[in-house]
Amino acid sequence: MKNQLTLFAACAVLLLSLFAFVIPASAEDVKMVGTISKLVVAPDGKSATAVLKDTKSGQEVTILVTDELTLDKFKDKRIVEGDEIRCKFEKLDGKNDSKIFKKTAGC
Amino acid sequence: MIKTRLAATALFCALLATTATAKDHPGDESIKSGGYHGPETCEECHPGTARKFLDTVHWKHASKVTNVEGLDPGKEYGMKNRIYVMCNGNDIVNNLKEIPKSPDTGKTKFTGCNTCHPGNHLSDVGSSGPEAEKAIDCLICHSAEYDFSSRKPFKDAKGRVVMGQDRSTKSALTVGRPKVKNCMACHEAAGGGVVVKRGFAFTKETDVHAAKGMVCVDCHRAQDHKIATGLDPNNWANDGTLISCADAACHGAKPHKDPDLNRHAAKVACQTCHIPRTGGAFAKDFTEWEKGSDGFYEPTTLRKEANDTTPVYAWYNGTVANSAHFIGPKGNRSDAKSRITPFKIFQGKAYFEEKSGELLSMDFAPPMANGDTRAGVESASRTLGMKNPAQVAQKAVTGWQTIYFGSNHLVTKTKALFCANCHAPNGVLRFKELGYTDQEVVKLTNPDLYMKKLAERQREEW
Repeated sequence: MKNQLTLFAACAVLLLSLFAFVIPASAEDVKMVGTISKLVVAPDGKSATAVLKDTKSGQEVTILVTDELTLDKFKDKRIVEGDEIRCKFEKLDGKNDSKIFKKTAGC
Repeated sequence: MIKTRLAATALFCALLATTATAKDHPGDESIKSGGYHGPETCEECHPGTARKFLDTVHWKHASKVTNVEGLDPGKEYGMKNRIYVMCNGNDIVNNLKEIPKSPDTGKTKFTGCNTCHPGNHLSDVGSSGPEAEKAIDCLICHSAEYDFSSRKPFKDAKGRVVMGQDRSTKSALTVGRPKVKNCMACHEAAGGGVVVKRGFAFTKETDVHAAKGMVCVDCHRAQDHKIATGLDPNNWANDGTLISCADAACHGAKPHKDPDLNRHAAKVACQTCHIPRTGGAFAKDFTEWEKGSDGFYEPTTLRKEANDTTPVYAWYNGTVANSAHFIGPKGNRSDAKSRITPFKIFQGKAYFEEKSGELLSMDFAPPMANGDTRAGVESASRTLGMKNPAQVAQKAVTGWQTIYFGSNHLVTKTKALFCANCHAPNGVLRFKELGYTDQEVVKLTNPDLYMKKLAERQREEW
């Protein structure tokens, strides 16, 4: 009986530790509005990093942008440093992958 | 044999060369040697084009409008002068200008409805004559590598607000038919932000036409820069040419293999099945503005992304009801010209004239600087020559206007609505509200209508 309890406890610990590894690796969507303080397009033009200063917290967040439409806006300067951006990104493996990256300003 | 192969290869190379030449802009050499100097350079090969362009909606921001009730048939209407609650301002009352300093930051900025006008602001909306012709920004629509950092308003030596343009030779050497991004440079952010007004994104993920590599002007075809449009209840100004999916060059009158689906086209618009989603802003409050991170204010806006919401459906015969509190489709099921059509509903809160009940417009400069919306109404009333503008603004009452926007993009083939999406009891069409009797609703939601067809489709899919 004692052995069975020990085995059950060991299994429970193993299962919990498995969750502990899984949870941080899962994707988390974050929404923010921030101003671009730094924008760097990769030499191959296939990605860019934008540092956004969160309008609420003042914290700087580095966003990785890979979608063609937004990259094109960086290249022809439709989006530049100083622009305020409405951004949704996915935290995954230590990177903040942009899902939505749009200027808040209109006409 | 070798001779034949050589001849074939030569022919192939010649054809390739022809194709390459056809894609090149024939005027490139002239631009390279002489530089680009605005429309006068374009006019060397396209004489008379600038003058004709001044007669288009893109330049005038207005046209005669024949399908909207309550309008003067002798006048032109459009964003130049309209008063409605997506914008609440227009080119006249909310002309591009430097707004007062923000009390918080001491900074100012330029803003105005005519920011997107393809002139230089000195030659503005609806202007004409040689100076206007020289002011046209041809490259913003025709260059693939336009530098948008040049397209910024500034004050010249005389203190006039001028809109900058990219007139570089580099930019001019990439001219061609407008690409999607040329159109979207203005149309994407209309109404106060990206995807706010129209609520669509023309991308391969969101539109079947974009996925096939089509661009805006493949459907919105142009003749002398007059561009075809649809009959959107909210989009009044037009160049006089209509787009139709049933155009023989596009889908024709019988686009489906299934005759049952083709039969629907008499009463159901193509968009109803093929544009099942919509998006963008669905409500705005012009009486309460929110302060942004830059210290300036913007109208409070509730927004959705493209494809984020579902449309509403109404009968539409192409004519439009137009009152202070409602702009939307006219039509009914007994009208042979009416078809069930999807719309995005938008509601805006603004100020109405106390006695007449008419919707008032707003100059955005005062509220943008300090949030004072009644000061914006007063300024607009003064610009429009109304009596006692201060009193008009002070006594104005708040209210809502509902607008039906046409839902004409985000076209899908694979996710199109099918029989049960409408004819099941929980379908998207509210037949009762569309004018059908209780007995008819029972018939219209009877599974006999679709059982065989859907069962067959299910067998194919699984």
